[in-house]
Amino acid sequence: MDTPIVTLHDFMLRTESITYLLVVMVLVGFVFFWRFLTDRDEDSTRPDGEHSSDTHH
Amino acid sequence: MPVPKFAIQKPAWTPFNVVAGIIVVVGLVVTVIRFTQGLAATTNLSDYNPWGIWIGFDLLVGVALAAGGYVTSAACYIFGLKRFHSAVRPAILTGFLGYTLVVLALHYDVGRPWRLPYPFIVQRGTTSLLFEVAACVALYLTVLFIEFSPAAMEWLGLKRARQIVVKLTLVLTIFGVVLSTLHQSSLGALFLIAPSKLHPLWYSPYLALYFFVSSIIAGLSMVIFESTMAHRYFHNKMDAEHLRQADGVALGFGKAAAWVLAGYFVIKVVGIAQADTWGYLATSYGAWFLVELLGFVLLPCYAFAISVREKNLKLIRWTAAWSVVGIVVNRFNVGLVAFNYHLPSSERYFPHWMEIAISVFVVTIGVLVYKFIVTHMPILYSHPDYDAH
Repeated sequence: MDTPIVTLHDFMLRTESITYLLVVMVLVGFVFFWRFLTDRDEDSTRPDGEHSSDTHH
Repeated sequence: MPVPKFAIQKPAWTPFNVVAGIIVVVGLVVTVIRFTQGLAATTNLSDYNPWGIWIGFDLLVGVALAAGGYVTSAACYIFGLKRFHSAVRPAILTGFLGYTLVVLALHYDVGRPWRLPYPFIVQRGTTSLLFEVAACVALYLTVLFIEFSPAAMEWLGLKRARQIVVKLTLVLTIFGVVLSTLHQSSLGALFLIAPSKLHPLWYSPYLALYFFVSSIIAGLSMVIFESTMAHRYFHNKMDAEHLRQADGVALGFGKAAAWVLAGYFVIKVVGIAQADTWGYLATSYGAWFLVELLGFVLLPCYAFAISVREKNLKLIRWTAAWSVVGIVVNRFNVGLVAFNYHLPSSERYFPHWMEIAISVFVVTIGVLVYKFIVTHMPILYSHPDYDAH
């Protein structure tokens, strides 16, 4: 940003604004990450929580 | 007590034994030099650089990589994930050995090692982070010893004593998690005292949080890594339960590691945003910082996620090893590379060969003791005379 940082208020406004934008992106991103990580779970997990034995090295 | 078959069959002059023997001999010679001639004869430490690799590697990395103990026992006994039960004993053993070696390495690093108990009996300095670290490490080492002891008691046939200790499992686990939370974070907080010495990209008011969260990553990755090594070299020591649960442990811990790495990446970026240090990313230190952040945090996060999704156990195991390297890189960066970054290169620290020799010696001792214990005690299998706890 071109605006010079002179006061503490300027600094806080800049850093907090960026942080808030980041946090919103992260909250949305985590939903997709969660889905990416778990959407195939049912394929290989038995009801008792044990992973099936067809997962080899 | 029956003598293990393969202990008799294996020849003594294996490449492993020869290399380990040479390292131990060199280590013992350097140990004598260190304790007879002092730190100046064996290290490149100075007033500018009072902490070298004996702190940056042996202590910071050692404590982080020993986190598998509290992570695994918390998953099993506190969160009730009994499908990880077979991973608890190996993780506790790794943690116990890790902390023992940390304390051993500290004896080399501190000028007057016989004063190590002073924080408890002479000057308590309760406002000092070092006091907090000392207290927690001492207490947690004791906790790990007690948590590990049932395996030794089963080996020695001490049924009554084992029965008593097993009843303490949950209390010890809770105690271990509390102590680990405290000192893993405090090790990061130690650097808060030197904001002008640590490069702004690594310095952050959140250092304590970074160290704690990354210790969870280290613990999860180390359990997968150690299990991979155990499968490779001690396969014949594992019972059916360990063999059956191994894949599930790798998948479960890999998924957890993907999550924690994602969270760690976010708090690191938030740290940059809060300190407004974006400009430093365009410098050479920034390039190295990005290697750490993208190469050792984001990349393993993605690799864990992909491998868990695809159930690719080989990739999970390679990623775990990569994450372990990442933890080493991070602790080296905070403790050595980014520390005193403003000094001219002539004043910068590079370890003396004897410092490296002692670090290798300490790790080798750990591997040898691990090998002995796993060969003789019920770590990778359940003792047939005892119920699982």
